[in-house]
Amino acid sequence: MANNGNGRSVWKVEEGERRSVGVIHIVITALLIGVGFVVGAFGSISFPLGFGVNFFWTGIVVQQVGPIWFGAWGVIAGTIFPFFSNAIAGTPFYVSLAYIPANFVQALLPAWAFKKFNCDPRMKSGKDYGVLLLAMVVSSAFGALYSPLVVLRGFGLLTTESLPLFIWGWFGGNVVAGLVFNFILLKALSGVVIKTPAFVKRWWS
Amino acid sequence: MSSPAIQVTDYSWKYLHSTTRAIKNIELIVQPGECLGLIGSNGSGKTTLCNSIDGLIPGQYHGIKEGRVEVFGTEVEEYRRGELQRTVGLVFSDPEAQFTAMTVEDELVFGMENLGLSISEINRRLEWVCDLADLSPLLDKPPYEISGGQKQRVALAAMLAMQPRVLILDEPTAMLDPVSRERVFAVLARLRKEREITMILIEHSLEHIIPLADRMVLLSNGRKLHEAPTRTFFSDLSLLRQEGIHLPGAVGFSGYLRESGATTDEPAISVEEAAQQARNLRGAAKGELS
Amino acid sequence: MNKTLLGYVPDASFIYLVHPTIKVLFLLVVSLFPMFISAVEWNVGLMVGLMALTVASRVNMRTLKIYIPVAVSMGMIILLSYTVLGGRHPDYQVITRIFGFPLYWERIRDALVVYFRILPMILTMVFFLSTTREREIIAALRAVRTPFVVTYVLAMSMRAAGMVMEDFRIVRQAEQARGFDSKNKPLPYKIRKYVMYMVPLFALSLRRSEEFTNALVARGYSFRSKVKRPDYILSRYRFAWWDGALGVVIAALFALLLVARYRFGRFTVEDSVLLRYLHTILIPGGGA
Repeated sequence: MANNGNGRSVWKVEEGERRSVGVIHIVITALLIGVGFVVGAFGSISFPLGFGVNFFWTGIVVQQVGPIWFGAWGVIAGTIFPFFSNAIAGTPFYVSLAYIPANFVQALLPAWAFKKFNCDPRMKSGKDYGVLLLAMVVSSAFGALYSPLVVLRGFGLLTTESLPLFIWGWFGGNVVAGLVFNFILLKALSGVVIKTPAFVKRWWS
Repeated sequence: MSSPAIQVTDYSWKYLHSTTRAIKNIELIVQPGECLGLIGSNGSGKTTLCNSIDGLIPGQYHGIKEGRVEVFGTEVEEYRRGELQRTVGLVFSDPEAQFTAMTVEDELVFGMENLGLSISEINRRLEWVCDLADLSPLLDKPPYEISGGQKQRVALAAMLAMQPRVLILDEPTAMLDPVSRERVFAVLARLRKEREITMILIEHSLEHIIPLADRMVLLSNGRKLHEAPTRTFFSDLSLLRQEGIHLPGAVGFSGYLRESGATTDEPAISVEEAAQQARNLRGAAKGELS
Repeated sequence: MNKTLLGYVPDASFIYLVHPTIKVLFLLVVSLFPMFISAVEWNVGLMVGLMALTVASRVNMRTLKIYIPVAVSMGMIILLSYTVLGGRHPDYQVITRIFGFPLYWERIRDALVVYFRILPMILTMVFFLSTTREREIIAALRAVRTPFVVTYVLAMSMRAAGMVMEDFRIVRQAEQARGFDSKNKPLPYKIRKYVMYMVPLFALSLRRSEEFTNALVARGYSFRSKVKRPDYILSRYRFAWWDGALGVVIAALFALLLVARYRFGRFTVEDSVLLRYLHTILIPGGGA
């Protein structure tokens, strides 16, 4: 059970607790886009497979941890920043644009799973690890299937025979980077984040 | 009689995840046009008090508030969103942390746009602050690529452009070299001369705060320990020394003369005054000898 | 010198005479051109034009070096995708066999078409990034009445990206000062190092979020504010007659391209002189 130390869920809004959307949420969205831009572009330039698909996409950490901490604001950032990081890394404008649905699902799913299954972002139990892993795998599988199939084939950039390389590249690049970073970051910083006014218990505040 | 610019009444604040109160039962009145120097060691509650006057507390922080903080007769929480900041301007110690625009010009204009000023009024004020803080050559530059002193002058000018009735400066020169520090205080001195503005100045370097401040307050561990008009404030230096306040050479020298019984003059608060005291003493000694 | 998104461009560059909205229009529309062109030589021509524009805008070409590996790696991937991973097609024309693997003319042709479609798209993006200042993107968005909160988030994101890179440099220097260096180290070591960067980078960003918020609130920003904001930034950019003319030219060229392609069947693979020539060289005597 995800609790705040008093046996209460970290996601539960306490009686009398005032939570509202504030400037800090706008700022957090902007900062996540900024961090994601740098971290994502690093992955795209350092480990490229082509057209924004990478062997090891470091941007996944911002895309998946951000929404767990900051709800819909993290999802917005996680959906938008790959567009910029891909663009700077040399992915054509419209290809980057077309990746948006995949990035949206990859950002949304782990956050949704954490709330749905009442997991603790401080990673206190096996359930927390299990749910995150599953959410990472499922969301990356969606992205891996959607993007190469719909986007790359749609733009005529790939042959049907080469699709598996890109599907596995996208999937592996996300899941491996997620395994390396997501757990560590959640474990190391969730305790601090939960105490900040930026932490989002519901979806918007 | 008009209400004070700032009136803090039995005010306490505890941050949500803290075990102790950051501010404890503070009473404070600042009159319009007055400049208050606020000093104290790190963690004494200076920043918390300033954030409370600007409405950042409780607006942006979770915690427990007791007592009242009023600005021009209205409790800060009763101001509408964004209204209080038209009246109170707050300059932070780290200029970099307050930049949100991509050119110095946009940075200076941002607050004025929030006020909904017309373009012509924005241009007029922009010209004024650029002249005041000598920023014209920097307008087109990114604010994070200029020097530390220039950054702080931009931060100060951005706030001044909003023409707040109360200006709070939270260690505005903490990150600056001595030359840049002098330039920032020169801007503040010119501002005090040209406009009637209420000012609260938090600063560790007392030699800069003293010429500007009408009154001084010492905070320690969230409590107000001492408050007096600037000169009187330095009558008893033992408390300041006990609190680890670094005294300017002139004040320390004058205090030493007074404590040793060599003089009964009022405390000197500038090098010139301390030098005069020394000359007076030498004259007195010569007189005794002859 | 003015800092653009991807480098520096001198004050004297003609590019500053162009209104930001036209620059964005150029990016959006010219990026579409290659998608309707299959004839390689036309896309090569577009690339030459874009390069000429980049040079004429006085962009420091050295800043564009980072895109050479990107272009090479994309070329390799496309080539692999269309050759080794391209499958077997008995009905295609075989150019040669490498280790018994057939190299088809149709596959090579398609690889060339795709590659020379991608390159001008990248170049358009690079031209835009190297000649546009962050402020101009905001001005362009405000000019088309994008809500302030959206443009502001974008502006802050760009600012945040700069800060993160600076933080990254500081964290790396701090690590190196303690004898931690990844030069010539294997990949797993570099990844481990990257983990060590990520936590402080996030922690710094979290702290910054509080400082940023305070700075915004202290300057009267509230995204629910009813105050009508004057668009000061727009007063700094004038929409001149040549901006209108450029906009019309860009739109007209696109319209012409579509008409030529779909009404008259131009710009197709069959229409390509270069591909026909290549075919005669690679498959002497073979039909197209």
